This record gives sequence, structure tokens and C-alpha cells, in this order.
Amino acid sequence: MKKIVVLVTLVTLAMVVLIACAPTPTPVPPTSAPKPTDAPKPTTAPATTAPQPPAAATKPAEPTKPALRSKANPGEKITLYHLGDVTGPLAAITTPLVSGFNDGAKYLNGKGGIRGAEILVEWSDTASKVELGIAAYNRFREKKPLIMQMYGSGETEALKDRLAEDKVPVLTAGVSAKGSYPPGYVFAVVPIYTDQFGLFLDWLVPNWDKVKPTKGQGLDAPKIAFVTWDTAFGRALETPEVKAYAEKKGVKLVAQELFVAGAPDVTTQILAAKKAGANVIYTNTLAHGPAQVLKDAVSLGVREEFLIAGDNWSLDLSMLALAGAASEGFYGVFPNLWWDDADHAGVKIIQGEFTTNARKPAERSVGYLLAFTFVDAMRQYIEKTIDRVGFEGLTGAAVYETIQATPELKPMEGVQTFDFGKDKRAPSRARIVQVQKGKFVYLTDWMTAPDLRPK
Amino acid sequence: MAIRLAGDFDISYAHDMAIIRNRGQWVMTIAFIVTLFALPFFLDAHTLGILNLIGISIIAVHGLNILLGYTGQISLGQAAFMAVGAYTAAALVKAGVSFWLALPMAGLVAGLVGILFGLPSLRIKGFYLAMATLAAQMIIPWFFRNVRTDIFGGMPGLTMQPPRLGEIIFNSQATMYFPIMLTVVVCTIAAKNIARTRLGRALLAIRDNDLAAEVLGIEQFSHKLRAFFLSAFYAGLAGALWAMYARSINPEQFSLLSSVWYLGMVIVGGMGSALGPILGTIFLRGLEEITTQLAPVLSKMFPQLEAGLLAALGPMAFGVALMLFLVFEPRGLSHRWEILKAAWRLRPFAH
Repeated sequence: MKKIVVLVTLVTLAMVVLIACAPTPTPVPPTSAPKPTDAPKPTTAPATTAPQPPAAATKPAEPTKPALRSKANPGEKITLYHLGDVTGPLAAITTPLVSGFNDGAKYLNGKGGIRGAEILVEWSDTASKVELGIAAYNRFREKKPLIMQMYGSGETEALKDRLAEDKVPVLTAGVSAKGSYPPGYVFAVVPIYTDQFGLFLDWLVPNWDKVKPTKGQGLDAPKIAFVTWDTAFGRALETPEVKAYAEKKGVKLVAQELFVAGAPDVTTQILAAKKAGANVIYTNTLAHGPAQVLKDAVSLGVREEFLIAGDNWSLDLSMLALAGAASEGFYGVFPNLWWDDADHAGVKIIQGEFTTNARKPAERSVGYLLAFTFVDAMRQYIEKTIDRVGFEGLTGAAVYETIQATPELKPMEGVQTFDFGKDKRAPSRARIVQVQKGKFVYLTDWMTAPDLRPK
Repeated sequence: MAIRLAGDFDISYAHDMAIIRNRGQWVMTIAFIVTLFALPFFLDAHTLGILNLIGISIIAVHGLNILLGYTGQISLGQAAFMAVGAYTAAALVKAGVSFWLALPMAGLVAGLVGILFGLPSLRIKGFYLAMATLAAQMIIPWFFRNVRTDIFGGMPGLTMQPPRLGEIIFNSQATMYFPIMLTVVVCTIAAKNIARTRLGRALLAIRDNDLAAEVLGIEQFSHKLRAFFLSAFYAGLAGALWAMYARSINPEQFSLLSSVWYLGMVIVGGMGSALGPILGTIFLRGLEEITTQLAPVLSKMFPQLEAGLLAALGPMAFGVALMLFLVFEPRGLSHRWEILKAAWRLRPFAH
């Protein structure tokens, strides 16, 4: 019996090794999608709303663009790489990124790819471990990537110098100040956390009398407690720039209460914030962070004593699902469009592809929406580079130059807006939203975040 | 007792003590060392990166093996001691000290911290000691997050410039490979020999029966502290090399989960053997790499399955491997290797 078990184990392992070593199957373009040489036509969205393929800057792509594809290279392929924590503590939010990325590439291939070149996607899980991030990067680096996408602050920070040495530009969703500045090859896809908080203060101070809690203490001015994760991400606002800006705005930062990501109870932290005199709680976490804060504030009976707000990643449907009715009234900083913007051309496309690809409701998240958008951003940057240097001159360094030289890019018709520059590594635009009747409602027009990057 | 080749006799005390006993073994050893250090000229950066990571892990697991395998003291804080080494090296380099000096300093500082957390071992053992070392896993990262943030960088941590040696900058996987593998070789030889010294035999005696060892005149407390020092010293070296490898360190990189992985590597490789940490680390790191690469392939083959489910193969494989080894081969891969060697030497006879 023992021998049989050992034998079976060995055979299983051998199979695993064989499968792992097998060449990656080339993805077959969707049968319903037109070939790159065909005239692009929408496959999912209704005719009245069918968008043109988005292209350089804000203009829709012209159907003649695929003609730039070299006849000498009919099988041109461009691989887009992304790596992030598909498993691990952040997986609830990050897993749909893979589907969003795949569906985005599939959709754009149906529209002619990148100047006719087929888009391939390779990804790797990092399980929130830096060592796996470095290993995945080393694997992708060998294939000379033009541009990559990363999700975690940890791997972004660890790889920042290597990316510059290897000249590989990266769009990252891990938007810590350390990863983004001093300027290098890393470009943040949303305002860095310190800037987001600054923007929140810009809105909060003049509107305080309208939005302040109905009960509580010292309601003459905002007194903020950070109730946040005890991680680099959660504590990203511990900077002198943030303190100085809050002081300038007349806002007191009265406490910082930390909890472990996934903690099932934060009542102690909320009570400590109350004891410190706070009337605002700000949390810099993913969706399950504010969900716990909101639920516990309700259970303690102190919800009406606090204005509770968070960063952009705290705003997700999973937060609404986890917090339920407790999420009502939650504020956040929102740098992109949302699924509810159903009239927007880009959101319509993403909605359509989500349905076409029969994605599960749980994947209808910020991760899917933005990953889809990231693919289009990469496509646009690469197309702009091809226009400048041709297919032959297409390198990571050339794409990097394009990113820096593009004052504004609106992937998926403006689901996001990127405005990078020579020394600017993160967007500045965002709006303030509030949860009202289970939906994110925009309270402001687009605002520009203050520059609170580390000096 | 190891089964020797026919005609392999002890002809002197030196020969009796020798690890490498004949010309054939010398040739094999030299060939292995030459091949080991020639690999960077043939392998790509990805493979070298994996080997570097394996090398760093082997050093840390050797340390844990001295504590757990040789001395029988459970530790759940190996990653925290690595953090001490990593932060010491990064802080010293930031202060202008050469990395090559910071490397042994990192080992020493981690060793001293290891002694501190080894103090409870006088009074407690087993699960209770595991809990005491768990405290190290909580306190040390907290320390680096919150104390002297001007030196340790607080939550964002520290960035370390690549070390230099003359004109050589150790910023690529190929160049980093040499110091890492050199340290692995030295640490492996040291770990092998520690078990053959008076100290090593005392540690083994404490592991097998601490009361009997005490009766025989082996002073438990000092020997246990020495084991903690050695274990943390190894972890400190591994941490310093990790700082060179990752270039950017923060407390989150040295988690309890990492300590559990190191424990798993000792168990899978085989406790109490110098070969065990090497085999265990290669096996589990290899498994992790294979499953990581397998997930995207399976995702393309079965697009209807969620990526997260497929990517979870890695943690599942770790758990399954650990269970299988605990049930079917608790003495680990090194024991299986010994059986294989004995069977080869005895063939065609079964016994």
C-alpha cells in the first residue's frame, strides 16, 4: 500500500512537471471576433452605442490603422505581462484582475490588436510574496517586455530599481509613494495614497458644516483618526507631507489605530479613535477594511458620531456586499468611472464583454473594470510608440519615452485618465463619492489632488 | 550506520573522520563545485533567480535545522531573525559600511537577538517554546516598523544599494549568485561539521534526552543558547543576502508564513541531517515555482475556472506535500536518499 501511494505521488509530480514544462499554448483568437485584417466591428455592444476602438489620446482609432502592420511580419504578436497577488490576503480584490486583463486583450484583438499585432497575455501570481514577484519578473524580463502591469506595492518597490536598469516601464496599482517616487520606470494608475488623502481634505474642509456627523464631539472642525491596516499600504499616510498639509488645512490628525488585514473585529480601534476625540475615520485599505470598520461602528452604536472615508481601493462592490446597510454614507476618493456609468462608451464595452464572457457576478469588481482599462492603456501607449519609431524600434525604453511624453491618455474612452510627465508618476484627478442606497454617488466634479509626494 | 563501498576501510584516524573518503568522491565533489559556480555562465536570469532564492532559503533552513533537527528546540521565528540580519545589513550599508563587512555583522547581531529569544528555552520546551519564539515573530517586525524609523525606515522599510567589489556591481542575478552560493557552501560545510563536534554531539544528546544529557554533564542552558545563536546567525546571514537580492526590505517580507515555510522545508528535507535542508528547500521552492507557472497554463486550458482557484495550487501543494511527508516519510528526503544509496550499493541483493 505504501509503495502504491509513493508511486502515485511520484507519477502525479511527474505529470505536474511535464505540464509545467509544456510550451504555452498560443491563444486562439475568438471565433466570433474578426481577424486583425478584417474591418473592426463591435461584437457585443448594441449598434447605437458601439464604440470605435479607442486610440491615441482621446480620439477613437481609425479603421485604417491596422494597415501599418508589416506584411513581412504577418504573425506579429505583442505580449503584455502582468503580475500580482491572485492568491494571498488581497486575493478577494485582485483575482478578477486576471479575467479583466484576458477579456480586455480578447476584445482589443477583435478590434485589430495593436496596429494589427495580436495581443497575448502572460501573468503570474505573487501571493503577496516579494520573492515570487521577483521570480516572475525575472521570467518575464527574459522575453524583453515592452510594458508590464503590477498590482502590489511590495513587488513594485522591490523591483523599482531593476525596472529602470532593464528599461521596462510598469503601470502599477500598488501606488505607494516609495514605489512611485523618485521618478523612475514605475507609473501609478491612480493618485498615490498621500495625494488621495490631500484631495479628501480639500473637499472635507470647505464642506465640513454640510457633511459633519450629526452627533459626537468637537464638531467645529474635522479631527481625523486613521483606522487602518498595519501594513505599508495601510500606513502609507504616515508622511511629513501629509501632516504638514493637514495642519495647513486646519485639520487635526488625532490618532492612528492599526489592525491586521482580515481582522474580524476593530471595535477596540474605533473606541480608541473616539477617545482620542476623532470625528472622522479614514482608512487606507482594500474593500474588506472599511467594511469591518463600518460594521463595527454600527454595532458599537457610534456610526453617527463619525464621518467614515477611505482610499480608492476601499470602494468596491465587495465592500458594499460585506458591510451591507452599514456602508450607507461611506465616503471615498474615486479616480475612475464605475460600472454604474452605464451611458459611458467605455463602461458599456466593458459591461458587454463581461456579459459575453459569462463572468461570475463576484468578478464584477474594481479589479475587472480597471484591468480591462489597463490593457487598453498599454495598447495606446504601444501604438503611439509604433507611430513614432515603427515596429522595428519598439522597445521598453521607447514605450517609456512615449508614456512620459503623453500629456493625457484616456483608456477605454476615459474610464481612467493618465497624465504622466517627466517628473509626474501618478494621475491627479479624482472625485469624491458617497455610498447612497447601495450605490456610489459622485458628490463632486473632477478635482485635482495636491502634490504630496515625498520630498 | 552508513553502508560503505567494498574495500573502503579506515586506515587512519583522519580517514575515519573524513567526510570525503576516496578519490572518486573527491572527483565528484570538485566536479560539483565547479559546475555549481559555472552555472551563471549558462543559465538565464530567471533560473539563476530561483537558484539564488533557493540558496538564501537553504542558509536560513540550515540554521533552523541546527535548532530543531540537532537540538530539538522548536522555533517559529526564523523569518524574524532573518529580518534582523536584513535590517542590520541595510542599515550598515546605508551608514557607509561595506556590504562584505555588514554580512557577518548581520549574522552576529541576529545571533545575539536569537540568544535573547532563546532564554525561555531553559524553562520551557515543545509547544510552549514554539509560542515563545512566536513572540519573536511578532516583536521583531513591530520593532522595525515603529522604533527608530530614522534608521530602519518605519513601515516603508529600507532600500539597499547593490554591493560592489572593485568594478563588479552585484545587481544582477548572475553576479549575486556567487556570494550567495559561496555562503551556502560555507554554511553547509559548517552545518555538517557542527554535528561532528563536541558541541554538536551535546546538542544531539539534549535533543534525544535532555535529562540524560544533563546527568552526563552537558550543561543544557548554555548549549541551548548556543544553538539559538547559531540558528539566528545563519538566519542573519540569509537575511543580509535577502536584502541584497530584494534591494528593498520592509517588515512584511518576514512574516510568520515564511517561518512556517522554513519549518516545512526542514520537515520535508529531514531533520538532523545537513543534506535535509538542501533537499527540503529545493523540493518546496521547486514545487512553488512549478505551481506558480502551472496556474496561467491551466487558466488558458480551462478558462471557465477562476484564476484564483488555479493559482491556489501552490499553497495546496505545500500543504499536501507536508502531510504526505509527515505520514509516509517523517524522516524526510535525506533519509530516502540514504535508503536509495544503500540499495544501490547492495544491489543486486535486497538486504
